[in-house]
Amino acid sequence: MNTRSLKFQLLGWYALLLASGFGLLGVATYVALERSLTGAVMDSQLRRARQLVPLLLEQRQPLGDQRLGEEIEARYAPDRNDRFVRISREDGSVLYLSAPPIDQSFDPASLPPPAWPSAAESSRKAPLLGGRQMLLTSHKVQAPEGMKYLIETGAPMDDVQADMRHWLTFLGVGLPVEMALALGGGYVLVKRALGPVDRIAASAERISSSNLSERLPVPQTGDELERLSVALNHMIQRLEEALQYSRRFVADASHELRTPLTILRGEIESFVQDPRLTADRREQLGSVLEEVEHLTHIVEGLFAMSRLDAGEAQSEWVRFDLAQLAAATADQMALLAEDKKIRLSCVANGGVWVEGDRSRLKQVVVNLLDNAIKYTPPEGAVSLAVKAVDGHAVLEVQDTGIGIPAEALPRIFERFFRVDRARSREQGGAGLGLSIVKSICAAHYGRVEATSTPDKGSHFRVELPLAKPQTKQPFQNS
Amino acid sequence: MRLLLIEDEKKVADIVSRGLRAERFAVDVAYDGSEGWELASAADYDLIILDLMLPGVNGTELLRRLRRKGCNAAVLVLTARDATQDKVENFEAGADDYLTKPFAFAELLVRVKALLRRPLPSRNPVLRVADLEVDRLSQQVRRAGKRIELTSKEYALLEYLAANAGRVLSRTMIIEHVWDQSFEGLTNIVDVYVRHLRSKVDDPFPTKLIRTMRGAGYSVGEDGEE
Repeated sequence: MNTRSLKFQLLGWYALLLASGFGLLGVATYVALERSLTGAVMDSQLRRARQLVPLLLEQRQPLGDQRLGEEIEARYAPDRNDRFVRISREDGSVLYLSAPPIDQSFDPASLPPPAWPSAAESSRKAPLLGGRQMLLTSHKVQAPEGMKYLIETGAPMDDVQADMRHWLTFLGVGLPVEMALALGGGYVLVKRALGPVDRIAASAERISSSNLSERLPVPQTGDELERLSVALNHMIQRLEEALQYSRRFVADASHELRTPLTILRGEIESFVQDPRLTADRREQLGSVLEEVEHLTHIVEGLFAMSRLDAGEAQSEWVRFDLAQLAAATADQMALLAEDKKIRLSCVANGGVWVEGDRSRLKQVVVNLLDNAIKYTPPEGAVSLAVKAVDGHAVLEVQDTGIGIPAEALPRIFERFFRVDRARSREQGGAGLGLSIVKSICAAHYGRVEATSTPDKGSHFRVELPLAKPQTKQPFQNS
Repeated sequence: MRLLLIEDEKKVADIVSRGLRAERFAVDVAYDGSEGWELASAADYDLIILDLMLPGVNGTELLRRLRRKGCNAAVLVLTARDATQDKVENFEAGADDYLTKPFAFAELLVRVKALLRRPLPSRNPVLRVADLEVDRLSQQVRRAGKRIELTSKEYALLEYLAANAGRVLSRTMIIEHVWDQSFEGLTNIVDVYVRHLRSKVDDPFPTKLIRTMRGAGYSVGEDGEE
């Protein structure tokens, strides 16, 4: 999963917020619950202490300390109720101490003697054996004769502690389950909300200069995504218009240049015929004619490309064997290679049927071979191969030439792009050869790509759809 | 031979008519469709050179009307459009040949002559240029009586040059006749073949027959012959 994707980030933040929310809630309920439970225990103990006040004040004198203890035990039976009662004097001496409870769960004598509290009523916790705790409350009493007493009552916190443990267990199990459920739901929601974004991105990626007339699907949801896809569609439309304008401009410009070029050429041609011309002048005019010729090729290349790009190449659509065409073309160009002492080999063993404009596709072979021969030094090798691979006709041209620098590689199919302007000009050509190849391939629903290692050679690969197999082949013998 | 040129671009009309007159054709020029229609209706022309992009009237439409009226002149169509559909449409309308602008005048001339069935410089099965003999039947080439072995492309090139001896043939024309349009403008293939041809036809002999006209193309002929 892409950790920078919106989906992941949304889900991450959502999980973080949820976890901290649940955590805070857990801590808060834990604290509140403990307070409330402890408070309840404390209240009941304080109530008991208050009940002991009149007994202490009224009965101590008539009964004496010993009988007072018996009276307390008779009334409240702290040992049977798991309670603790201690009455101390101000000097720390104990007036009464309740007996250990029946189950011996704590020893009243082991509880630390009280520090004399400043407040009338207070409470504290004292540790017992085995991690248990006892809640002790103290109540100050002043007898009319001036004696001060401290009534302490206490109860073990066992029930509270058990409740808190239960609550902790509940939180420990419940919170992760809750988190998992919430995250699962969140994931489904995020996925549903962002699904259209994925679809829009996928369709946007499919759209290139050759199918700019296509549009993105617009989800009829009235939300931001609908607005986004509508906006993107408007942008694609503006792109399409700009591209159409540029194609029309190239087509019109190259068309308009034809007549002036005809005139220029005709005038100079007739001028060259003049017998009074000196050899120098004839040479100069020849140079001008060469440039007119060059210009003518550029104009024709541009015009041909604008027609290909506009999809006007389908007029001569036939089914033919690309391997045979390539082999024949290589044969026709053999002398060009031979002239530079370049080994030209061709592996094209027939039967690679494609559909299209024969002469246009031949131009692809011619341009690629011409390029390969042009940029391969003498004694090098150029090889041409045609084969059917995975339902595609694949034509490859490999050379041992000077290669193309990596930074230039993505641009070689652009119009007028030249790796090295000075050298290319000297080699001739209008700088349109490869872009024409690309336009022809695109018009045939195919593509062309190049790889290259400088000083080692270049490799061009053309991929075209294979023709559908013919069911009837009446002219085929054998 | 009487020719009618219907071309609204005055300069193009001038060049073409001047060149054709130099070849001793009688040339009338119409600068628009209606003038062309009047001239074509009034006189009997052997050949009409028709530009398709005419003001006011569509060249193809004019051609149709001429054919319906029973005009039998050969028609060579000039156009800046070279889409195959346009070609088909014009052939159906009655055009006999087709030439795309910009063209070399030499090419126009070759086509005009072919349409008029005026013999090209030689229909003779054996073409002779000085001491060079090109036998079209046996496809054998001799110079000064000595047999010269050529590859088939070299032979095709030499035959084309010899058949148009004395005329300058542009690289574009040579490519279109000896190879095909796919090679147009992209390769120095003509130069390479001419060099090979020279090494066999000219180098062993004192007189050179194949001449390079810079910017224009190649021609075959003895020095001084025009």
